[in-house]
Amino acid sequence: MKKGEAVDKRPTGLVFFPAFDWAISPTHPEREERLLYTRDQLFEEGLMDLPQIREYQPRLAGVEDIARVHFCVPDVESQATEAHRIAAGGALTIADALMNGEIKNGFALVRPPGHHAMRVAHGNRGFCNINNEPIMVEYLRQKYGIKRVAIIDTDVHHGDGTQDIYWHDPDVLFISFHQDGRTLYPGSGFTHELGGPLALGTTLNVPLPPGTTDEGILYLLDQLVLPVIKEFKPELVINSAGQDNHYSDPLANMNFSARGYARLNQKLAPDIAVLEGGYSVETALPYVNMGIIMAMAGLDYSNLYEPDYRGEEFTESRGRLRRLREVVEELRPIFLNREALVARAREKYGSVARRERRIYYDTDGIDEQQEERLYLCPDCPGLLTIDSRARHRGGQKNHIYAVSIPLQGCERCRQRGLELYRENVGRAGAPWDFLYLQDRVADNYRREPGGRLA
Amino acid sequence: MLAGIEPGLVKRVGLSTTRVTNLLATGGGEPAAAIIIPGPGLNYRKLALPPNSFLVGGTVDFRGRVREALNQDQLEEAAHSIAAREIKKVAVVGKFSHRNAALERQARELLLKSSPQFDIVLGSAVAGRLNFRRRLTTAYYTAVTGSSWRYFAGEIQAAFKRRGIEAPLNILKADGGTMPVETSLDRPCETVFSGPAASAMGAYGLTMDQLTSVAVDIGGTTTDLALILEGEPLQASRGALIGGQYSHIKSLAVRTIPLGGDSTVRWQGGQLTIGPDREGPAACLGGTAATPTDAFNLLNGEKLGSSRRVLESLARPSGLTAEGLAQKVIKQVVDRLEEEIQDMFRSWEQEPAYKVWEVIHKRKVKPERIVGIGAAANIFIPALSQRFHCQALVHRYSAVANALGAAIARPTLSVTLHADTERGRYFLDREGLQGKVDSQLQLAQAKQIARDHLTEMAARQGFKEYAGSYEFGLEEQFNMIRGWSTVGKLFDVTVQISPGVIKEFQGVKL
Repeated sequence: MKKGEAVDKRPTGLVFFPAFDWAISPTHPEREERLLYTRDQLFEEGLMDLPQIREYQPRLAGVEDIARVHFCVPDVESQATEAHRIAAGGALTIADALMNGEIKNGFALVRPPGHHAMRVAHGNRGFCNINNEPIMVEYLRQKYGIKRVAIIDTDVHHGDGTQDIYWHDPDVLFISFHQDGRTLYPGSGFTHELGGPLALGTTLNVPLPPGTTDEGILYLLDQLVLPVIKEFKPELVINSAGQDNHYSDPLANMNFSARGYARLNQKLAPDIAVLEGGYSVETALPYVNMGIIMAMAGLDYSNLYEPDYRGEEFTESRGRLRRLREVVEELRPIFLNREALVARAREKYGSVARRERRIYYDTDGIDEQQEERLYLCPDCPGLLTIDSRARHRGGQKNHIYAVSIPLQGCERCRQRGLELYRENVGRAGAPWDFLYLQDRVADNYRREPGGRLA
Repeated sequence: MLAGIEPGLVKRVGLSTTRVTNLLATGGGEPAAAIIIPGPGLNYRKLALPPNSFLVGGTVDFRGRVREALNQDQLEEAAHSIAAREIKKVAVVGKFSHRNAALERQARELLLKSSPQFDIVLGSAVAGRLNFRRRLTTAYYTAVTGSSWRYFAGEIQAAFKRRGIEAPLNILKADGGTMPVETSLDRPCETVFSGPAASAMGAYGLTMDQLTSVAVDIGGTTTDLALILEGEPLQASRGALIGGQYSHIKSLAVRTIPLGGDSTVRWQGGQLTIGPDREGPAACLGGTAATPTDAFNLLNGEKLGSSRRVLESLARPSGLTAEGLAQKVIKQVVDRLEEEIQDMFRSWEQEPAYKVWEVIHKRKVKPERIVGIGAAANIFIPALSQRFHCQALVHRYSAVANALGAAIARPTLSVTLHADTERGRYFLDREGLQGKVDSQLQLAQAKQIARDHLTEMAARQGFKEYAGSYEFGLEEQFNMIRGWSTVGKLFDVTVQISPGVIKEFQGVKL
């Protein structure tokens, strides 16, 4: 909303899905208890009784909603349990309510989380199987014709899954700020990670020095995130809202407060926020979730504080501020000059850009090797193929081949993609267990056993 | 009404009264003040609060730990102001006070020391479930209505006594159950909206099977709707609305629509409107305005008075015949009722769910029967039931079904226990009761504790014969993990005697 416009009287939508009967394992951080005290705090506060809040019941995301984003190995059903489908479905529920005009903005306060789940999903990594925000964004693009979206990942861990899914998409701005990957899982998210050759500059990463406080994060927001969003002109802004920057989080080392989170959401003014991580279940989550909801609903949060918060202990150091200023000075020109960067990349790569990667799935102990080929095109973001082999802890192996035709794909790239898929499905003696086709133009998703099984 | 009946033969009196409902609607009752201990969260300075509210510092958290001490200076200031306004009734309500009432109790003690004239209601005693705002509303209006209700209850008891009726007096509650009049003295707000509850329980008494019914009580000005889902009267998820705020008063899911048999029919800007007002009785019963009752009367051979005249004069400018207009009126009423009923079912289906199991097992329920209640039931029930392709029931007792409901409703009682083994305590949602548990407590034991309390309370209130009719509602347990080891368990258990009929009632003949 721009200044001077009338105040939007519509409520903030809320899907609260704590999955009180689902855990990765009984003592895992991602367990039944995670949102229990958040439930107590929200219900005791009576937030759902306020006219500024409208609560919705989550629905199940469909198999197609998931296949629109992921190549699930061996299939969607084995990667996405009912709990995952409800968490993703909660985001879809909020998306529909927003697009129907029932709410001014919305928060999918759901678990399990998703932002470490990449395009190819062999298993659980970083507590995530499927990625809730891209499932929601692709649904919004498909159903409502939304084109440009900004996803701001505020979790303390690098949103490497979301980054992977939008790596080659110039119409989705992905900004992640997180604790420096040299000191925290998943060990990525450095400033040089800027997106694929045809989407350079629409992926931006800010590694934060451990110990960064409200002041540092809000500085970054004002100096980098907000100006970049303004320049990008997205139709929707999504907050991938992890809560593990909090000073009490057991898995990270930052010093963000509940009121800091509220301030962040007030400034960012996301259309939709989706919960990601955050494992300080008693000290942080009840207060941080309150803060996000209150800020989105336009409620006064000046009386919100953690009972043990001593703000004076958390002042930003000059060293950290200097480091943040350097990052801002490095990334802003990159974003502004992204067209030139793309032009240079075209010259460098010619017709095909290859990328080889190893991806480790910490939760499930899977080692994946991936080769990605992007067929560069002058008219669209380009056809993408992925050859991926995974070795599971138990020795089981999966080898897949996937063809992805982007949403903005031109007809020539699309025909080429369909042809590649057909050729390889029929190929006798081909090495793959499964082949996947993701035709975003026709919203058509297929999966077939490969030659090795035939 | 008791003409011809020997007073000594009356064994039980069930009373549904609008006394408290009317007090609240008219802003009556006694002036009261609220001492609010909100701790961190919403800024209560910016929210609509009851008159004479005072905010006092102090924090209890969700585990019931005192995190900030009570601010005694602020409390003392509040006490002075309240005393200066000559207010005696004071509600003291703290956030999470149902998990630890220490601050509320300390405040009461200090208040009584400085102002012994205060009559104090604690939030933890009247409203022990999550939701601070509803606790505040419940405690405040308990303070407001307490004295008036006490007086009224005394008068009623005396009146029955004068007539030789010594039978126990039971007061109908919003949840469709009763409580002994003695219990009601501490919980006057539970008697609100017992009117719609009476008609819902009347419909329940007329049916008593496993079908899904909609009770439709069509009065002169309004219509009350209630749902009986697969044989169980449906409870509202949010508690009764009092003074525009939700409370912790358990209430049936009832809906009152400003549309009844005597609602005035008129044209407004080319549109036919019905209600929301009533000018008097239907024209056929001596009134002046056209009403839905007149429309029905005309279409059924005009057995009564002068419906044709008023409908004709109303129809004339539109070019409709009197019959055409009457049909239009009936259709419009039935449309509206159908829409509201659909919406009630939709709201029930859209209740939030917090477990995977609940989301996967969400059901769709359709009405199988419309039960008409009240004198005007005959008019619309058959047409309405056709819309839902279901049965219609208009019983010969329909006209008095709400009295039937008040007479046959059995006592209800619900106890919710929250146990925290790490802190070694449990807390009940009634009377601020709490006790000790050991660190090895299991769910079965937690349920047993809750049940024992229910049995004891039922016996103390004089209805131990219903204590065996309990059922468990909520049953939740959570492991508390810190680091990678279990440090305790949390339990939430609800045990209740749900709405039903007294043992003596065996149903009615159809």
